[in-house]
This record gives sequence, C-alpha cells and structure tokens, in this order.
Amino acid sequence: MTKDDCFQLGHITKTHGLHGEVVFFLDVDDPDEYDDLESILIEVRGELLPYFIESISINRDRAIVALEGVDTIDEGKKLINCPLWMPLDNLEEITDPDRFYYHEIIGYQIIDEADGALGTVSSVVTMATQDLIEMNYKGQEMLIPINSAIVKTVDREAKALHVALPEGLLAVYLSDVNAKPDDADPDEER
Amino acid sequence: MARSLKKGPYIDYRLDKKVEALNDSGKKSVVKTWSRRSMISPDFVGHTFAVHNGNKFIPVYVTENMVGHKLGEFSPTRNFRGHTAKKDKGKR
Repeated sequence: MTKDDCFQLGHITKTHGLHGEVVFFLDVDDPDEYDDLESILIEVRGELLPYFIESISINRDRAIVALEGVDTIDEGKKLINCPLWMPLDNLEEITDPDRFYYHEIIGYQIIDEADGALGTVSSVVTMATQDLIEMNYKGQEMLIPINSAIVKTVDREAKALHVALPEGLLAVYLSDVNAKPDDADPDEER
Repeated sequence: MARSLKKGPYIDYRLDKKVEALNDSGKKSVVKTWSRRSMISPDFVGHTFAVHNGNKFIPVYVTENMVGHKLGEFSPTRNFRGHTAKKDKGKR
C-alpha cells in the first residue's frame, strides 16, 4: 500500500508512561469517530508499517494509544513524529452535500452561481489559517477560499462543486497582478 | 513593544474607506489590497480580501476569529504547501 491510497490521520507527538504507550495527534474534524480504531499505518523512514492497536483513549484531538509490539518507552520513542496513515477505503462515506473530503474534490468541475462552469479543481492548498481550492481559470492559477459562504454544495454524481464567488474575484486573477488600483497611494497601500 | 492603545489599531485609511463603502451598500465584492499591515477590524467580517503576498493575490475570507490579526498573516509569502493534501476534513 502506498501513500496515494491513504490519507494522513495525524502524527505521533510523544510517549506516555513507561510501557510504550504513545500519544497520537489526530488532525481530523471529529476525533471521537476513531475511538474504535483497530489498526493504523505508521510511516517509519518512508515506509508504511501496520500496527495493531491494543487500546485507545481519545481526549479532544489527542489519543493515548497502546500499540501491539511496542512495550517499552524506548520502542515508543522511536515512533515520535512519525505520521499516521489510514487506507482511503476506511473513510466513512459522506453523503451530506455540504461536506466533502479534500482529496475527493480533485478533478471536480467548479460551477459558479453567476458565471457557470469555470474549470476543474487541481488541488487543495491547506494552510494553518485557511484552506484554498486551486483551479486553472483561463490559463491562470486561481484560488478559492473554502468557506461555507463561498463553497455551497458538492454534487458527487455530476462531479461538480457549486460555489458563489464574491463579485470581483475572477477579475483579480485576470487583471495585471502588479497593477495597483487607481486610488492606491504607494506609501499607504503598499 | 506593543502599539500604543491611545492610537488604536492601524488600518490603512483607503482600505477602511473601501470596506465602509461596501458595508453601506451591502455589497460583498472582493477588495484588492497590498496593505498586509492593516489590522482586521470587526467591520471586515464577511468580506473577501485579495491580499498581495509579493507575487500574487491570495483571497482571504474574513471570519470572526480573524479579528485583531493582520491581513498579511493570512497570505503566506512562501509557497510551502504541507506534506500532504489528503486529510480527513470536511467543509463546515
């Protein structure tokens, strides 16, 4: 199994206690969904190694986990900072048209309420502050903030993402990037 | 040293004027700005700003929890895109 068939669940932050338990950081919307996790793939030196889970205790986005075969603190220490992966097949299917997985919308057509079909999603850029959909529009890379006010619904059958782009967003990408607005003062606006 | 409270937050005068005009008209059009140093005031909430990062404009949809931060914080100047894009995250 390769990383292309998996999604990243989080990573191991530290050890817990002296018996090899480790702390997972779960970078997901709802960590409690993973309280019945039986196995996990841990990336060790670029390889995905399967580990069975003996026990898991989730507290918000952290989980104290006992892994089979990891019985001492020294064995646990070797796993610190290792990313955690899960096969894509294990993901719960989302039927809600308001929610989607980032990986599933790649290649979806973007349809604006006002301007119709614009292009297809080429990737999703995740940042600490906000996430953005990247698409190609008339030869220009265009970014769309992922927010419920802008991204409305996802149509999985038609592979389309319905958006309501704020007025002027398309023009930002089509105009000269370095051209300043007419009323811009170089000392104040720049 | 922190900015003096007497002065109040720094917001570019022209940017503030544009947002005020949008709020008065009830429009939600994108405001293009180079003023990364301007602080996000409560009036900015719900508007989308195209904040220049030195190379291109990054759209920033302002939400309540961004108030008090600077616009530039949401428009990274380096293009590190994380180790993976595949995350179990849904919208909302």
